[in-house]
Amino acid sequence: MFKYITQRILLMILTLFIILVMTYFLVQSVPGGPFADPTIKPAVRAVLNRRYHLDQPIWMQFLQYLKGLSHLDFGVSIKVQPQADVFKMIAARFPVTIQLNLLSNLVILPVGFILGILAALKKNSIVDHSIQIMVVVFISVPSFVLAALLQYIFAYKLGWFPITFSTARHMNLEKLLSMVLPVLALSFGGIAYIARYLRDELSEVLNSDFMLLARAKGLTMRQAVVRHALRNALFPLVGMILGIFITVLSGSIVVENVFAIPGTGRLSLAAISSNDYPLVMANVLLYTAIGLFARLILDLAYGLIDPRVTVGGGKNAE
Amino acid sequence: MPNNNLDDYLKAANLSREDFAFVEAGQIQADRIPDTPPIGFFRDAMRRFGRNKASVLSLAVVVLIAFFAIVGPFMDSFTYRQQNVKWDKLPPRVPYLEKLGIFNGTAVLTVQKANIETDYKIGYIKTIREHNIKANGLDVPMADIVVDMYKLKGADDVYFWLGSDGLGRDLWTRLWRGARISLAMAFLAVFLNALIGVIYGAISAYYGKNTDLFMQRVIEIIGSIPLLPLLILFIIKFGTGIVPIVLALCITGWIGMANLIRSQFYRYKGREYVLAAQTMGVRDRRVIFRHILPNAIGPAITQTAISIPEFIMAESMLAYLGLGIQAPEASVGVLLSEGQQVLFSAPHLLLFPAIIISLLMLCFNLISGGLRDAFDPAQRG
Amino acid sequence: MGNNTVNTIMKDNMTTNNVVNTTTNTVTNTQRNSILSVKDLHVSFSTYGGTVNAVRGVSFDLKHGETLAIVGESGSGKSVSSKAVMGLLSKNASIPSGEIHYDGSNLLKLTDKEFSKIRGSKISMIFQDPMLSLNPVMKVGKQITEMLFLSGKIKKKDAIAKAAQLMKAVGIEDAEKRFHQYPFQFSGGMRQRIVIACALAGEPEILICDEPTTALDVSVQAQILDLISDIQKKRNLSVIFITHDLGVVAGIADRIAVMYAGKIVEIGTCDEIFYDPRHPYTIKLLAAMPDMDMDGSEELISIPGAPPDMLYPPKGDAFAARNDQALKIDFEKEPPMFPISETHFAATWLLHPYAPKVELPPSLQKRINKAKTESKKG
Repeated sequence: MFKYITQRILLMILTLFIILVMTYFLVQSVPGGPFADPTIKPAVRAVLNRRYHLDQPIWMQFLQYLKGLSHLDFGVSIKVQPQADVFKMIAARFPVTIQLNLLSNLVILPVGFILGILAALKKNSIVDHSIQIMVVVFISVPSFVLAALLQYIFAYKLGWFPITFSTARHMNLEKLLSMVLPVLALSFGGIAYIARYLRDELSEVLNSDFMLLARAKGLTMRQAVVRHALRNALFPLVGMILGIFITVLSGSIVVENVFAIPGTGRLSLAAISSNDYPLVMANVLLYTAIGLFARLILDLAYGLIDPRVTVGGGKNAE
Repeated sequence: MPNNNLDDYLKAANLSREDFAFVEAGQIQADRIPDTPPIGFFRDAMRRFGRNKASVLSLAVVVLIAFFAIVGPFMDSFTYRQQNVKWDKLPPRVPYLEKLGIFNGTAVLTVQKANIETDYKIGYIKTIREHNIKANGLDVPMADIVVDMYKLKGADDVYFWLGSDGLGRDLWTRLWRGARISLAMAFLAVFLNALIGVIYGAISAYYGKNTDLFMQRVIEIIGSIPLLPLLILFIIKFGTGIVPIVLALCITGWIGMANLIRSQFYRYKGREYVLAAQTMGVRDRRVIFRHILPNAIGPAITQTAISIPEFIMAESMLAYLGLGIQAPEASVGVLLSEGQQVLFSAPHLLLFPAIIISLLMLCFNLISGGLRDAFDPAQRG
Repeated sequence: MGNNTVNTIMKDNMTTNNVVNTTTNTVTNTQRNSILSVKDLHVSFSTYGGTVNAVRGVSFDLKHGETLAIVGESGSGKSVSSKAVMGLLSKNASIPSGEIHYDGSNLLKLTDKEFSKIRGSKISMIFQDPMLSLNPVMKVGKQITEMLFLSGKIKKKDAIAKAAQLMKAVGIEDAEKRFHQYPFQFSGGMRQRIVIACALAGEPEILICDEPTTALDVSVQAQILDLISDIQKKRNLSVIFITHDLGVVAGIADRIAVMYAGKIVEIGTCDEIFYDPRHPYTIKLLAAMPDMDMDGSEELISIPGAPPDMLYPPKGDAFAARNDQALKIDFEKEPPMFPISETHFAATWLLHPYAPKVELPPSLQKRINKAKTESKKG
């Protein structure tokens, strides 16, 4: 077990490093650079480039970057917030993104759950059909379209919610209200995924022989569903939850932009559009690390909850 | 089960001895081949698809959108790049429909009451509501008025069917032209990704062992890079033409197909009939193409259909972030992005592209669902 | 092929068991009380293609302490009938008419909740594939005692002891350790034993076995069959045994019902079915069974064609289309159940006084004669 985890973590670090190298050279090779603006005088540009070591050969810069990384120094921002420490910038914005993400998950999971279970239990009924239609619509309308529509209707036209995100330091009613629309915009897709998945999985389990045996033993339909079907259908859901976390994370890049939310999504976009190398690098690394970490957790979690999976080996042969 | 009514039954049956003659052998139907001609897997699947009403309807809608994407831009007198800054942000106006009170080129504006007579005299139709707002400590009388925007902007005889954008370009023309580009990019990306995926997956599974291990490792690494930043970087580097965007969509888009083909390969590689073919000396290439790959056609088509909406979504997301195709060309995503910026003053600029993209997404999702059901061998029979 | 083993079993039983049967059954079968009686049961399924009439008027009685085998090929409606008895039909099934009487009530009128009080504790069932009928992510001990625990019959701490007792009863050693294992840690035969233990936990009176040995290796099949008949004797169970394999039936059934296309075409005691088959389908089934004594000159008879599509059930005798000695009337009118003896009935026009005489296939006749003389000698 311990050996396996160490192995996986080492592998994860290796993957992260490969991505780091790829991203670094990709970012550096983007034409223009941060000071490509033609209004900057060449002399000034030279000074600026020297200050940020942009005049040195690229591999020298890379080595220096790596050296910095070794003590969590991600460099300073060049354009978005000149001279600000990148690590601090991200640290200040990340909680906002995470907060919205977790709130979205709090909406997605119970709603998706209930809809999925309902659809499976009432399969081919009118309830199922309406849920199915809802699922397809939720999956089909892009989150940014949804965000804009919600903003236009509920914030601009009806005035029920603030148009933009409140940046108040402490939670108050206004801030809570301003979170409603972004959270909704981030949630619809996830709800649809969970509901669709759970419906398919659960209706398959409901048709399985072990459900028959369970009921033949005398369990009522409800007992059999709760004790056997749900339990089995929920195993793969653990994976879904992390997947949804990641999806919401990338969805928030757009949604944060629509509602002017000061999170890492918006920061990434600003960094990319202004060629702020260190900031771009740090953001990409952050998102990649989260993705890899989530996958690791997932694999380990399966080993803990599904008796058929022994960690370090594959599934036991049936 | 003793049949109490046996005698009654026999009486009612009114049988004669002739009824108990043996039937001639020719009439025995046991091993008769069914009259219906044999139906191939593909035709059978298509037949099943045809029975799925939602999918067929979706296909019709997609065909309709594709039709308009081709001929729509030629249906009115504007071109996609013709600007007329005076006529900016005009609301939709359609002949005949305007008489019904919709698409009549009017808009509700909230203006200072004092300005109605001066600034809005030409197009003024009626006042809906009057109210006061405080500005600099004074009460300023305001009014919500209905204005004929076309009159107001001196475009009396002009009809922008879906309105005009911030530069006075016709949204109808731009929207269909945008749909054309979005669809073209999505299909191109789907085709390339399917090709890469099939080849990659087949090689990985066919050679197996270390090759497979290595190729899977590559997939894992590529797959674990967060997609959006990667796309963004790629496009910043290679520019915003159709080709770079399509290529960007090919960075990770093929992984799903590769995995699918690989797993199908592994599933059928060890099957008895494949082993039998190999034992009988069938060459590897024939085994792959005649015996293994055909099994993957159904799932592969479904996978392809599923990825179409994904690519449309990814493309429009990029465009929405300002990384779409360059002006004056437009994809649906670019239009959405432009619409977002003037959302409150000209909502139609977001609404119509939003409807088109949602319809496309919806229809392709329903179509792929229908295909999945049609090709699912478990349902065959 | 594993058929040899089965046939040996079958043959042995034909010669030994049935001697016992002939003496006891004729007395007991008529006198024993019915514990379960199914009357004119119809079951249909609404499917994509239309309504499938899977069971079309099945009637039978299950007598106290007997084993009734229901034999038929796949799609004949044997499993569906038994699932109807358990109230476990899938959602798209409907029962247009029929009655199932148990303990003074019509089971078809019960709600799911009322039915669940009967399932497990009165009537229990085991299924074809033990690989699929156990929940893969629940410990087997828990699966065995689950219902007892839920119904409050035992406390949690007694569960292990109770499970161990049941596991011992079905021949699983080292039960205390096995309690905490998962189904994937057991072999196929062991899993079927667990399934049987699950079914027995509620101490039912009736056990329905739906092809319990079909998915198992031949050597294991015999063990499970032994186990079932052993348990039946010890607990005085009434058993409905569903199978497509006449060879399996011979060893353990008191009576046999042969099903074809959703109907019982012949029903009788084991001897009556094996030595005096009347319905052409039964005759062909018996003739199609290989025999240890067959020499190379005899050709194994096969039944041409396939069972009818139950979307469109045929008129008359459903088997007529595959019967090379079909009568004209077979294609026109449905044959009623003709009584042959107190216990033996068959639905074929051949039993009508007008019908021509039809000889049994020679190989089958020979086999029957031989078995009869052997049993006389024995």
